[in-house]
Amino acid sequence: MTSASAPLPRAPKVGGRILDAQLHLMDRQVLDHDGVPVTTVDDLEVSGPALDVEIAPGSPAPVITALLTGSVLGTRIFGGRPPSSRLIRIPWKDVAEVGVVVRLGVKGEPLDASWVERWVRDKIIARIPGGSHDPR
Amino acid sequence: MKRLLGVALGILTAIGGFVDIGDLVTNAVVGSRFGLSLVWVVAVGVVGICLFANMSGRVAAVSGRATFEVIRERLGARAGLANLAASFLINLMTVTAEIGGIALSLQLASSVDYLLWIPVAAVAVWLVIWRVRFSIMENVTGLLGLTLVIFAVAVFLLKPDWGALAGQLAPTVPQQETFWSYSYYAIALFGAAMTPYEVFFFSSGAVEEKWSVKDLAQSRINVLVGFPLGGLLSVSIAVCAAIVLLPAGVSVTSLSQVVLPVAEGAGKLGLAFVLVGMVAATFGAALETTLSSGYTLAQFFGWSWGKFRRPAQAARFHLSMIVCLLVGMAVLATGVDPVLVTEYSVVFSAIALPLTYLPILIVANDPQYMGEHVNGRVVNVLGMVFLVIILVASIAAIPLMIVTGAGS
Repeated sequence: MTSASAPLPRAPKVGGRILDAQLHLMDRQVLDHDGVPVTTVDDLEVSGPALDVEIAPGSPAPVITALLTGSVLGTRIFGGRPPSSRLIRIPWKDVAEVGVVVRLGVKGEPLDASWVERWVRDKIIARIPGGSHDPR
Repeated sequence: MKRLLGVALGILTAIGGFVDIGDLVTNAVVGSRFGLSLVWVVAVGVVGICLFANMSGRVAAVSGRATFEVIRERLGARAGLANLAASFLINLMTVTAEIGGIALSLQLASSVDYLLWIPVAAVAVWLVIWRVRFSIMENVTGLLGLTLVIFAVAVFLLKPDWGALAGQLAPTVPQQETFWSYSYYAIALFGAAMTPYEVFFFSSGAVEEKWSVKDLAQSRINVLVGFPLGGLLSVSIAVCAAIVLLPAGVSVTSLSQVVLPVAEGAGKLGLAFVLVGMVAATFGAALETTLSSGYTLAQFFGWSWGKFRRPAQAARFHLSMIVCLLVGMAVLATGVDPVLVTEYSVVFSAIALPLTYLPILIVANDPQYMGEHVNGRVVNVLGMVFLVIILVASIAAIPLMIVTGAGS
């Protein structure tokens, strides 16, 4: 522990754009490679030491490993934490662009995050006559 | 012609807000009890909804983001969910009421009991949402709803004493009414003008029609034609009631009394117009609120949405609307009075109104979204003034409802 009066070391210089995770990532719409909505960023998964572990000096800064969705929204609002196995992840390497929306570089269709949409489509909507009718 | 039809989105949005089944009756009640002393509230409401609908349309055109995406993004998950819950309940109650309203209008035209019309109305609404193209939907219901202009025509045909009518315009509480019930109806009218589903529908409609920066003028024309027209219709219903029902001492409790002044002023032909208009307006409002339910849910959770996609490509969006219509039908099957249902949605406006309009104002000032099209200073000042009015109205809504027994 450093004493409170000692000045903090300067933050390392970073190249490129600085994003505020809370402001620019959380709760933003996620679109896939073709502009189809996939989900909203419900939470973020960050690498790094566990909560109670003392951080050794010189250890690398944590990085975002995945966008989270699914039941994590419920626990974020009402408290608690789902077990890691229940998180639905969109790996950060799939993210192509962060702007007003978060754009993925892959198709949304096969992602884990789209399973409810696929289920509702295949089991219900596609079975109603006209479900695949193009409105235009 | 294209320009002319281009305002259909604004007109349909305004019809759903100003002359849906609840407002058809409320306006006539207001006219028959308070005369024209509440017209100023409608005027204030029209200015407010024009201001914020234009902002939400501009955000949608410039950034491609519809209003509820913006709400979730700015308020975060928790406050966003509170707004979703309140807005969704307003939507659901209004969907229920509108299906009942279509059925009541059809009962008025056919003398077949309205309970039998309910499944017909619900299935018709679903079929349009499932199958009909967005532009055709808004053009047909918007234009047919315009036949309600007959209320304005009837005002002239009734040949009122214009001087006495103008004398009622002053905002004073009539002798036989209390200050509290006057305030309650003021808030009900203001809330009807500013109902959140109008901006949800308008901004999502802008995305459905793929508006871009090029269409900003179109958006403004839509707002400036649609909402004042909606306000005009709502005021002329009240004026009709003030001319015919107020002197006769009739207290309005049903839809048939709403059309009474038109029948007296414009005869059978007028009555035919008004029936077509009421079916179209309630049908339009049903479409608007059902779609808004789907839009708000889909935009909060980030689902794929829109009528421009095949239903199979927006599966959860379509499923949620089917569920809403089924719930609405189930509620109506209990025999509850459809008009009463909308009156209680005022309670939920208390939560939904400020939490809807604040994020729109914030994002309309965000250069990341808007680039050079951020709000000007005048718009921001007006926006702040209206946020204060909205906040006062929403805080006062529930206590006033309890004190006055919902205006009775």
